[in-house]
Amino acid sequence: MNNSFFEVIGLCKNFGGIQALNDINFFIEKEKITSLIGPNGAGKTTFINLVTGIFPPDKGKIYFRGENIAGLSAHLIASKGIGRTFQLEELFLSMTVLENVMMGCHARTRSGLFRCGFRISSARKEENFIREEAMGHLQLVGLEKKFSHPISALPLGERKLVGIARALAMKPKLLLLDEPVGGLAAHEIEKLINLFFMLLEKGITLLIVEHNMPFVMSISHRIIVLDGGSKIGEGFPEEVKMNKKVIEAYLGKEVY
Amino acid sequence: MINKPLLSPLSWIIIAMLIALPFITSSSYILMVMVFVAIHGTLAIGMAILLEHAGIFSLAHPTWFGIGAYVAGILSVRQIVSPSFGVAFSAGVVALISYLIGAPILRLRGYYLACATFALLLIVEMSLGQLGSLTGGYEGLMGIPPLSVGTFTVKTDTQYYFLSWTLCLGCLWFLSNILNSRVGRAIRSFRDSEVASRSMGVDIPKYKLQIFVLTSVMAAIAGSIFCFYIRFTMPGMFGFPLLVELLTMIVIGGGRTLYGPLLGSFITIWLRELIHLYLGKIFPVMKAEVDAIFFGIIIVLILIFIPQGFAGGLERFFHSRSKAFARFQRAGK
Repeated sequence: MNNSFFEVIGLCKNFGGIQALNDINFFIEKEKITSLIGPNGAGKTTFINLVTGIFPPDKGKIYFRGENIAGLSAHLIASKGIGRTFQLEELFLSMTVLENVMMGCHARTRSGLFRCGFRISSARKEENFIREEAMGHLQLVGLEKKFSHPISALPLGERKLVGIARALAMKPKLLLLDEPVGGLAAHEIEKLINLFFMLLEKGITLLIVEHNMPFVMSISHRIIVLDGGSKIGEGFPEEVKMNKKVIEAYLGKEVY
Repeated sequence: MINKPLLSPLSWIIIAMLIALPFITSSSYILMVMVFVAIHGTLAIGMAILLEHAGIFSLAHPTWFGIGAYVAGILSVRQIVSPSFGVAFSAGVVALISYLIGAPILRLRGYYLACATFALLLIVEMSLGQLGSLTGGYEGLMGIPPLSVGTFTVKTDTQYYFLSWTLCLGCLWFLSNILNSRVGRAIRSFRDSEVASRSMGVDIPKYKLQIFVLTSVMAAIAGSIFCFYIRFTMPGMFGFPLLVELLTMIVIGGGRTLYGPLLGSFITIWLRELIHLYLGKIFPVMKAEVDAIFFGIIIVLILIFIPQGFAGGLERFFHSRSKAFARFQRAGK
């Protein structure tokens, strides 16, 4: 048993001899914003993929609300309350905006093949419930007017919002955001910051993977720094800014 | 949305026309062709769901159709069960077989799955021919009784017409409900993005297997009705030619819409009849070759001019018309 909200212990992952993650240990505080930063190839996205079960870790444990979820398949982890967004959105392109967000409700609903096929009243009720939930989450990100648009008609900023609304529709306890502000303009980033603080008030814990340093420094309660698959620093934003190893990783070593 | 509710006014008109048809014409030729349209339509709709919505490149649909026909046929020729039970039995047998085969091979992707299911098609076709004492061999299974439920025997073309169209439209209704539900969205999602689908909590192997078995069972029921209608089955009817025909229907009709393959079935089968009727006089000896040449030309033309098939083309036409109309109204204000 483990009492922390979310904790990883000794997490390792190799991809054919390349050590993507090497003995990672850290914890996330409940209802706080924790950021995971590091240069390209540091293993940040790999970390998210391990936590959400896209592939299993080679070694190590991932405790989420007292339970070891390492090695479980992705759909089970999703139903335990871990939602995520993607660096490249990964939206369902053949569906409308609303249908994308409705997909987020999948793990919370139950109707099976025959109930849906014969349109049994319980399935119809559930379908209405899903639709309302999805509309609610679209309103939260301010896209309710575009619910019937195809994804291809949206600009990048709005696609990121659809991704977030879709993850929120899962009613996650922990939300993993993979580069949520990558490629966004300043005013869009500001809107997202407001949204994230609102989510915090709703009791959702956030783990943000990001490159944009001003954004990370302004929003995070704690920061974890990865480089080359290992953790090289951790702490409050001010501490991390002063950390010698972190500065080296980002700016390079001093040459004498 | 791609899958609009099916029962628009237009579809009610089409259903009314289908019901009225046997009362307008008494030509058993027209009804016979329409029975074939319904049965092939059922197959093509199921196959298009797998190919276009679920992204499962399965070519084994003629096999489920054939196994369905043979199980129902053999059971009723040997009078083991009554024909109506034969239909239920063949659905059950195909459900079991497609479950057992689907569970391992649906892990394959793309071309690999296509190869595996194509091999299945060839193996089953050959086995049906070789198991002479059971299946009647390559000459076919003769003496299948007509379908009967209790003391009522389904004999006339009109009765088979209503039976096959009930099956076809029933399957269409069922699949349309599924595609617009939680399960259907899950099935459509893994073609777009498998990672996202899994992260949303979709158990992909489970849904792949469900839709695979479901469409196989629909094909099996169509097969059993088909065997009672033509009272004869032959291994060659369930092989490569049928596969090509189904793919033609999907391409011509358009697989992205649900009713597209049915439209494709209607066009393909009637076109072939017309070719036989009119060109049979000019090329009396080479019917199959004439078919192949004409369908080849038609498929190429469709791929060039309406790549989404007739149904896709129609949707786009109406969509642009309604947009133009809205523009016109705005301009009026």
